[in-house]
Amino acid sequence: MSFLIPAGFALAALAGPLIVLYMLRSRRPRVEVPSTMLWERAEIPVSSAVPWQRLRWTPLLLLQLAVLAAFVLTLARPFYRERTLLGPHTAFVFDTSGSMAMAGRLETAKAQALALTNDLSEANQVSIVEAGPIPRVLLAFGRDPVLVEEAITSLEAGGGVADLSGAVRLARGLATPDRPTNVLLLTDGGNQPLPEEPVAGAEMLRFDDFADNVAVAAWSLEASTEGTTRAFLNLVNYGAETRTVSAEVAVNGLPAGSLEVEVPAGGSARATTPVDAGPGDLVTVRLLDHRDALPLDDEATLIVGTASERLVSMTGEGSPFLEALVDAVPGFTNQGEGTPAILISDGGRLPAFDRPTWLIAPEATPSGVSASQFAGNLAVTYQRPGEPILDSVDLSGLVVGEAQVVEAPRWLTLVRAGEVPLIMLGEINGHRVAYFTFDLTKSNLPVQVGFPILGARLLSWLAGGAAADASSEPAGTPIALATPAGTTAQVTMPAGDVRSLLEGSAQFADTSQPGVYRVAYVDAEGAVTPGPIAVRRFVSDESAGGSREIATTGAATETEEATVRIREWAPWVIAAALLLMALEWWVGHQRPFWRRTKSAPGPVTP
Amino acid sequence: MLLSGELRSRLERLSLVTRRRVIAQWAGRHSSRHKGESLDFADYRQYVPGDDFRRIDHNLWARLGVLLVRQFEAEEELPLRVVLDASRSMGFYRKLEVARVLAGMVAYLGLAGGDRVQVYALAGAGAPLLQMGPAGRHLSRWPQLEAWLEGISAGGGGELAPTLRKLAGEGVARGALVLVSDLLSPDFGPALDGLGVGAGGVVLHVLAAEELDPGLAGDLRLADSESNDELEVSTSEEAMRRYRKALENFATEAAGRSRRAGLDYVLVPATDDAPMQVLGALARAEALA
Repeated sequence: MSFLIPAGFALAALAGPLIVLYMLRSRRPRVEVPSTMLWERAEIPVSSAVPWQRLRWTPLLLLQLAVLAAFVLTLARPFYRERTLLGPHTAFVFDTSGSMAMAGRLETAKAQALALTNDLSEANQVSIVEAGPIPRVLLAFGRDPVLVEEAITSLEAGGGVADLSGAVRLARGLATPDRPTNVLLLTDGGNQPLPEEPVAGAEMLRFDDFADNVAVAAWSLEASTEGTTRAFLNLVNYGAETRTVSAEVAVNGLPAGSLEVEVPAGGSARATTPVDAGPGDLVTVRLLDHRDALPLDDEATLIVGTASERLVSMTGEGSPFLEALVDAVPGFTNQGEGTPAILISDGGRLPAFDRPTWLIAPEATPSGVSASQFAGNLAVTYQRPGEPILDSVDLSGLVVGEAQVVEAPRWLTLVRAGEVPLIMLGEINGHRVAYFTFDLTKSNLPVQVGFPILGARLLSWLAGGAAADASSEPAGTPIALATPAGTTAQVTMPAGDVRSLLEGSAQFADTSQPGVYRVAYVDAEGAVTPGPIAVRRFVSDESAGGSREIATTGAATETEEATVRIREWAPWVIAAALLLMALEWWVGHQRPFWRRTKSAPGPVTP
Repeated sequence: MLLSGELRSRLERLSLVTRRRVIAQWAGRHSSRHKGESLDFADYRQYVPGDDFRRIDHNLWARLGVLLVRQFEAEEELPLRVVLDASRSMGFYRKLEVARVLAGMVAYLGLAGGDRVQVYALAGAGAPLLQMGPAGRHLSRWPQLEAWLEGISAGGGGELAPTLRKLAGEGVARGALVLVSDLLSPDFGPALDGLGVGAGGVVLHVLAAEELDPGLAGDLRLADSESNDELEVSTSEEAMRRYRKALENFATEAAGRSRRAGLDYVLVPATDDAPMQVLGALARAEALA
């Protein structure tokens, strides 16, 4: 144990006067008693007249010496050294992706950070960086514990994917030559690979709590063969038990139908329901009476837009059958300029999965799918019953010369040959993906009667619906604004709060929360003009709640002094002093137990 | 109310027993020095004219040729004097409160037994050294005795011996005496020696728990409540041991002097169960029947 103020021990000299006080004879107090006769007969020797007496070590004296010792210790300020994660400047990078909402991971991370920053000193500065879809600095070089706490408590998990790399770069950008920066990553590891590993100058605090979760993995509108509109719901159960889930469908907030879906453990299930919705309507599905570890993915909304022709681009080997198919399907084209809405990747390398993708026998498998070998001469043995995409499509004559033998537990298999999946549906980076495990040219699928219908339905499903341009973007996608001159934009957030933007803002980026964002333009006189309505959805990859370790190289500070904190014993010593004082007071007001007699005489008849 | 209903009903089933014959003027339940009309044979004497000839012992006359008359024990009342010490020292702690109850209890026993009971108070606030209270021979007098006892308060002081001698001069020797006192007077010995009584009695020595086991600590000046004399005392384990020894000697001496004066002795702590303890002690001393 070391002491900050060793000179405080000088106070121990007070023990001398205290002991002297006990040796001084006090003036005798007068006590009236019934009679002094017995005391006289006892012939008790009276102390002599000298002012001193022999020191008697009474419990009271010992307690008072103990109290004095406690106060001496308090003044001397004993302390010990403790390693801390806080350096001269510490950047807390909080992962606010959707998976951090799983089982209170973010709340735990916030609590740990608050505990760390509770004892900020003048030597410490703290920055808070939010690693959401778009990283941002919430607090830079903060020293005020109140501001630090406000910044930390304001963090909320969103529904998007965390850009951890960008957040780390942002945190490193806060470093100055005279003040090295420790980066503390408070994350579950995220789903996006970091560009460099290990992350230099950082430490990771991993949060990987997990509990059962049933998630809305996909929610879309599609045209039925009867010309009506149907809503498609795809649920994924990440739990260990089969769950039966009720869902409510609402159009513009009014109930429009309900669904009940049984979702197998570790698998997915789809359901459809007719929906009467037109352009501009908001169609919402909400899981009812259902509580799980991640409530953010229990609801999804899409907005019905005006139908328009969509551009489909192709990469890889390509196929005339595919080009003909795209040309034949109304609402889709493979010619024109602009951003393609759908990508068809026929063989070759894996695409970036930055949009809905039709993936055909790629060279490598995407995340969540593993391929072990190839199988040849396969005939279809299974077509998913009740599947709208396969409605009136007969693939019993389909023969495949060679196909990848893949395992994809969280993908929905539509067609398979034996145990070999041939056509699967899934989602990567929040975008829909249709996966053909075989090359079209090594099968007879293009010559099957049902191929155009199957292709049209797949394109429609990838586009998110054919009846209308129903759309929703992954959480974190900015909203483009076309603010009229002389007006400012206001955005009503999913939670109902309103954000006013600066004049001339071209986009609104704080869209990490899933839900509906309503834009309005307000002119100088207060007139309000409704703007676009945008929907941001929970990225389904985050629903899995996966976690991983991120390799780091440790804190940037190298000197021990930078990561060692001095902790004082003062609270404990003061508590001990107060306790001793209370004990001393109690003993001082009691009849001295060391002078009590043990028996009380009863009546005596000599 | 000095005595509870339960205690009174218990006392009505008991009676005092004296060891010596008493000299009294009225017939009662206690044997007297006078020969009288009871079934207990006492002695013979020469026949004189006028004697009841039915008491002539014819057997002796036949054998000895002398006329002798049989004499029997006379049944007489017990003059019972109850003396309550109300000096200033009795006013400490609960001593006077308990002493009043004990005095009332003995007086009630006497009245219930048909004895002639006279109560006295030694000292007392604003009173002569010896106050004579009401007397009675029947329980109908109990309310007066009770009211008088309840009106006694502690005060005054002085020497015990002269006051008790004065009481002896009033004929205590002819009856039984009950003294309820803390005996905390330097002349308690001579005072007890002067109490030669004919029919016995008892000294109820009332001391408070605070006197039996003083809780004093430190260096003190003790002031005597009656004489105002001061005494410096330094308490210690040794001092308390000496005090307890002095207390033991005090009780032993008081008991010895009481016995020599023909009185039983009971040391009574001033507590709520003092009446029951005294009754038990008197029963063990065969002073109750």
